Amino acid sequence: MSEQPTEIKLHQQSRLLEITFDDGFSYQLPYEFLRVYSPSADVSGHGPGQEVLQVGKKEVGVSELIPVGSYAVQINFDDGHDTGLFTWEYLCKLGKNQTAMWQDYLDRLASAGANRESRPGAKK
Amino acid sequence: MSFNETDVQTALKNLIDPNTKKDYVSGKSVKNIKISGSDISLDILLGYPAKSVWDEIRSMIEAHLKAALPGVSKINVNVSSKVVPHAVQRGVKLVEGVKNIIAVASGKGGVGKSTTAVNLALALSAEGARVGVLDADIYGPSQPTMLGISGQPKSVDGKSLEPMSNHGLQAMSIGFMIDGEDTPMVWRGPMVTQALDQLLHQTRWDNLDYLVVDLPPGTGDIQLTLAQKVPVTGAVIVTTPQDIALMDARKGLKMFEKVGIKIVGIVENMSTHICSKCGHEEHIFGAGGGAKMCEDYKVEFLGSLPLDISIREQADSGNPTVVADPNGKIAREYKQIARRIAVKVADMAQDHSAAFPKIVVQNT
Repeated sequence: MSEQPTEIKLHQQSRLLEITFDDGFSYQLPYEFLRVYSPSADVSGHGPGQEVLQVGKKEVGVSELIPVGSYAVQINFDDGHDTGLFTWEYLCKLGKNQTAMWQDYLDRLASAGANRESRPGAKK
Repeated sequence: MSFNETDVQTALKNLIDPNTKKDYVSGKSVKNIKISGSDISLDILLGYPAKSVWDEIRSMIEAHLKAALPGVSKINVNVSSKVVPHAVQRGVKLVEGVKNIIAVASGKGGVGKSTTAVNLALALSAEGARVGVLDADIYGPSQPTMLGISGQPKSVDGKSLEPMSNHGLQAMSIGFMIDGEDTPMVWRGPMVTQALDQLLHQTRWDNLDYLVVDLPPGTGDIQLTLAQKVPVTGAVIVTTPQDIALMDARKGLKMFEKVGIKIVGIVENMSTHICSKCGHEEHIFGAGGGAKMCEDYKVEFLGSLPLDISIREQADSGNPTVVADPNGKIAREYKQIARRIAVKVADMAQDHSAAFPKIVVQNT
């Protein structure tokens, strides 16, 4: 994959980000998946072992996409998180490894006793 | 013998533009071919500024057509230049009033970035382009001195700044806004990047073909901000031939690659020193370093400049070489480098392959 996308489509109802690369490959990345794997230091920490588990993000939406130079996009989520710069390389990696990474997230949620649903009345 | 438009095109397909190394037809420079009887008239529209050589190009084309098309009587060739804006991000605005942004960087300090940047900007302007200079060195601004500009920028609406100007260039620098030449900017990163953002976006640049950004040395906040916030058309790396400067220049180049900014090429500064007393020429900082770096990274060698006391004296006095001695050898070298940069930028501006992807929002 040459990792240069031609189009990024936000499906606001189904909460999916669809990214098409210039070699024809495309991926459908759920907003929740992107949110819990945000490359921001707030989520991934400053090194291995410092990740912060994101919980209750099942209904998260995307309010805006902001171009970063010509090499990444900043995804502004509607829960206020806006510090993740998703490079094309990273989005490609998320696309290719979606199944394994998503399962890994669910496992970590389970061992932390947390869940995907945000509590009613709690800040989203 | 009669001829038609196709014959003229075929003839011009065999003539290579010495600046772009492509023929005039493939370079899409030939327009408006008109034939009446045995007279031909046509326009040549160059994608780069080249006022100082328009006449040369006109004579070359007229001579070529005369030789290629026997029977032709009058040939009227009109040569002009039009700079194309960089189509870098679909649906994203470029900086208002600016068609192309050229960053001038180095890895190391003291290699002559600011002097080179200001002379290249003046050279592009001498070739007929509208040019601005953005002094992005917040800690050590040098453009006000080099351009001989003093005073503070005015604001027409209380929000944006009018660029200062001299020698036909528009300019903006933090240096215009501080009182006293020796006032240090004791600022942490976030304030510096904010200042750069404002200088870039809140200056009312007036219809520039090129904005030359004079970067500070290094690969930090300012370079990152430029890469993230601004659609840079390309970067020119300035280095001396010396190993130590080269190592840092290589880091600078790799940094631009990492953030997706194309490299226009490398300028080797202080290539030789010519003794002002006896004329002895010496490769005081080593030889061939710039060319080798170009070979290693497959980028273009734009040219080399000598270590000459006049360059320094002229810049210090606010009259850089290209305006102080416009027909001298050094000014001609700056103009040659500027033309090569303009040609490369014209190519990049038309290359949509690395443009930002289209963003679509749907209610599905």
